[in-house]
Amino acid sequence: MPIQNPFQDPLRFERRVPECVVVIFGANGDLTKRKLVPALYRLAYDRRLSAGFAVVGISRTAMSDDEFREKMLDSVKRFSEDTKFDSDVWDAFAGGLFYIAGDIGDKDLYERLAKRLAEIETSRRTGGNVMFYLSTQPSQYASISSGLGSAGLGKGDGWRRLVVEKPFGHNLESARELSDRLHEVFAESDVYRIDHYLGKETVQNILAFRFGNGIFEPLWNRRYVNHVQITAAESIGVEGRGAYYQEAGALADMIQNHLLQVMATIAMEPSASFRATSVRDERSKLLRSIRSMTPDEIRQNTVPGQYGPARIGGQEVPGFRQEPGVDPGSQTDTYAAATFFVDNWRWAGVPFYVRTGKRLPKRVTEIAIQFNQAPLRIFENGDGASAPNLLIVRIQPEEGISLKFLSKTPGSGMKLRPVSMDFNYGSSFGERSPSAYETLLLDAIIGDATLYTRQDMVEASWTVVEPIQEVWRNTKYNFSNYAAGTWGPAASDDMLAQRGHVWRKP
Amino acid sequence: MSTTISPDRILKELAELWVTTSKEGAGDAAAGVLRACSMTLVVLAEESDDLQALGETVAALMPEHPARAIVVKLIGGQERALSERVYQQCWMPFGQRRQICCEQIELTASDASLEDLPSVVLPLTVPDLPVILWCRTSRILSMPGFYRIAAMARKVIVDSYGAADPEAATLRMSVVSRSGVLLGDLSWTRLTRWREMLSQVFENQEYLARLQNIRKVRVGAEEGLAVAARLMGVWIRNALSAAGIQTELEVTPAAPGGPSLRVELSGEGIGVELVREEDRLVITVNGLSNCTNLSRPTDYLLMREELAIVRHDPVFDRTLESAAALVYPSDK
Repeated sequence: MPIQNPFQDPLRFERRVPECVVVIFGANGDLTKRKLVPALYRLAYDRRLSAGFAVVGISRTAMSDDEFREKMLDSVKRFSEDTKFDSDVWDAFAGGLFYIAGDIGDKDLYERLAKRLAEIETSRRTGGNVMFYLSTQPSQYASISSGLGSAGLGKGDGWRRLVVEKPFGHNLESARELSDRLHEVFAESDVYRIDHYLGKETVQNILAFRFGNGIFEPLWNRRYVNHVQITAAESIGVEGRGAYYQEAGALADMIQNHLLQVMATIAMEPSASFRATSVRDERSKLLRSIRSMTPDEIRQNTVPGQYGPARIGGQEVPGFRQEPGVDPGSQTDTYAAATFFVDNWRWAGVPFYVRTGKRLPKRVTEIAIQFNQAPLRIFENGDGASAPNLLIVRIQPEEGISLKFLSKTPGSGMKLRPVSMDFNYGSSFGERSPSAYETLLLDAIIGDATLYTRQDMVEASWTVVEPIQEVWRNTKYNFSNYAAGTWGPAASDDMLAQRGHVWRKP
Repeated sequence: MSTTISPDRILKELAELWVTTSKEGAGDAAAGVLRACSMTLVVLAEESDDLQALGETVAALMPEHPARAIVVKLIGGQERALSERVYQQCWMPFGQRRQICCEQIELTASDASLEDLPSVVLPLTVPDLPVILWCRTSRILSMPGFYRIAAMARKVIVDSYGAADPEAATLRMSVVSRSGVLLGDLSWTRLTRWREMLSQVFENQEYLARLQNIRKVRVGAEEGLAVAARLMGVWIRNALSAAGIQTELEVTPAAPGGPSLRVELSGEGIGVELVREEDRLVITVNGLSNCTNLSRPTDYLLMREELAIVRHDPVFDRTLESAAALVYPSDK
C-alpha cells in the first residue's frame, strides 16, 4: 500500500490540513468568538480545510448544535477582519460545527465527547485525528487533560494534539507542575503552547530577514550592535479585565512569554535548518543564556510601574487603582521594563532593554537595534551628524522594517541628516497577511510546531522572570508612578541613562 | 511613429515622473510615494488583443508583484517600426496614506523590428531583478527572433489555450523547454485547482489505501482545453506510475453539450470523477459527491500564480516532456 499521496505538489498547492476534528474547550468564551472560529472560517474560505473538517465546541452553557452555529455565524460576521462573508462557504463550514454542554470537572462530559467524536469520525471520515484546544481558565488545563486521558481520548486511531493558551503556569514550579500533568496524557511533542506573537508575519519575517540575507548576520553581534530595545506598548487600559490583570501584571502577562520569545527570535543563533526542532532548540538555547539577576541587580535593572489617572484627548481616564474590580491599594505592575544581558559570545555586554505597559501614548510593538557609531566622526557640522544607525522591526500596527542612516543634506557644504528607508510589509505587498491565529491553527493541525513554545522554553523564561517577580512582590512601591498617556515612569528612563542610553519614542 | 527608441530618454522620463509624483504628494506631510519593485514584467501582445483589459490585468498584478511593466504591442508588418510611451500607475492601499506607484512603459513594434526589441528592452529592465516575459500571442514562439527575446528573461509564460494544433503546440513548448528556457504555460496553471482537489481526495487514508487498484485514467475536454487535457492525463499517469501503479490513459474530446473538462480515475473499489459544472467543480468519490466553487480563472489569477514561481517547476517540466512524448513517441 502506498504510504504517501503521489499527487502532492508543494510548489503549487496551498498547505492544507488533514481531515480532523478540533475540539474547543471554552467555546462560549471571547477567544473562540473573536479569534478561533473567525480564523477557522477564514481557512475554510481559503479552501485550506478538508471536506470532513469538524469543530466540537464545549462549554457550560446549554446550547444545541444549531444554536452554536448561529452564535458562531454572528462571531464570524462581526470579527472576521478583511474577509468577505460567503454564505456557501459558511454553510459547508457550519455543517461541521457541533456543540456539547457540560462541566469540565464532570466525567460524563468526556464520555459524551468520546461518543460524539466516534460519530463524527464515521460520518465525516476524520481519520481519528483530533486537536483539543483549551481556551479556558489556565487553572482548568490540568483537569481537562486528565479528563481526556481518563476517557481514553488522549490516544486514538489518528493523531491527538493539545493546544494551550498562555499563561503556562504563574512561576517556574507551577509551569513544571502543569507540564507534568499534561504529560500524563500527552507527549511533549503533542503539546502546542500557543504564543500568538510568534504567529505574526513580521516575527516570522525576522527569521527570513536574518537568515535569508547574507548582509545582516555579520553585523548581528556585540561588535556592531550597541544595544537593543524591545517595546510593546498599549494605549488602552485593562478594559474590564482588572480582576484578571491584577493577578497577572505586565511582567508575567507580556514579558515572560511574548517579549522574551521575540527577544529570542532576534538574538538566537542561526539554526541548521528550518525544522521545528532546530529552530526551537536555538530559541531555547538563547532563553537559557539570559543572565539571571541577583536582587540588587534586579533593583538596578528593572522598573515596575502603574498608571495613574490623567486627561487624554479631552477625556478623563482613570488610574489602574480606580478601574472596576481593582484593589485601591493594588501593587500590580501595569508597566514593566527590564535590562537583560545574554551570556554568550555573540551578545556579551550588549543590553537588551525590554518594556511593556498599558495606557502608554500609542499602541505599538517594535524592536530597535541600535548600532555603534562610526569609529571616527569626521562630520560634525550637521544637526543629526551623530545619529546612530537604527534598524527597526515593527511588529504592529504597521508591520515593516526601517533602516535609519545618515545622508548628505542637498546643497553646498557637508551637512548630514538622518533618513529612513522603509519597507512596509502591508503596502509593499498588496496581499492580505494571514492573522496569527490562522497561521498557528494551520501549523498545529499540520503538525508543525516551529512557532510554538516548548516546555524547556517556558521554564527558561520563568527562570529569568521569577526572581524579578520575587523582588517586586517584596517591595512596596509608591504607585501610581506614571500618568496614563505617558511613556512610563521616570525610573525607566534612569535605568537606560545609567548606560548612556535613552528610550526611543516609537 | 518613430523608428528608433532611446532607452536613456525613457529612463529619464521615468525618473522625472517619480519626482513629479513625489512633489504632488508633498503637500500632505504624511503622504509620500513608495516605490516597490520585485521584477520586470515584459508583455508581448498583439495589436488585436484587448489592450485595455490587459492594462487592467497588469495593474491588478502590481500590489502582489510590484514590477516595472513593459508592454510591447505587436503590429505586424515588414517595416521596421518602434515607438514608446511612459506612464505610472499609483494606488493608495486601503487605510494607508502613502501611495504605491509602479511604472509602465508601452512599446509598439512591428514584426520586422522584433530583432531590435532586446536592445531596447534590456536597458529598460530593473537591474538585479528577474525579467518575466509573458507571451500573449502563440505565434511569437515560432518567430525567428523568439530565442533572442526569451534569452532576456528568467521565465517565459505562454498560454496554449485554444491552440489550433494542440499537438504541435505541445511539441513546440517541449522544444522550447528543452532548449533551457524556463517555461510556464497558463493551460497548466488552469489545472492547479483540479490537481489540488484530486490530491485532496487521496489525503483520506481510506481512499489512499485503494489507490493501487486504479487501472484507468480518462480525461475528456472541449477543444480549447486540448493541451490542458493531455497535461492533466499525463500528470495523473506519471504520479501513479511513480507510486508503482500502471494505468491506461485515454484523452478524448468532450461530448457535445457535456462538461468542458472531465477527469475520471477508476479501478476495483475506487471511482473518482471531477467534473466542471458551470462555476463549480463536482468531485465524486465512490458515488459520494462534494462540490466546491471553481470560477473560470482570469488572466489575473493565472498570472498571479505563475509570477510567484520564478524557478523551474519540476512537475510541469516532467509532465510537458511526457505529453510531448505521447504526441510524437519518437521525438527525442
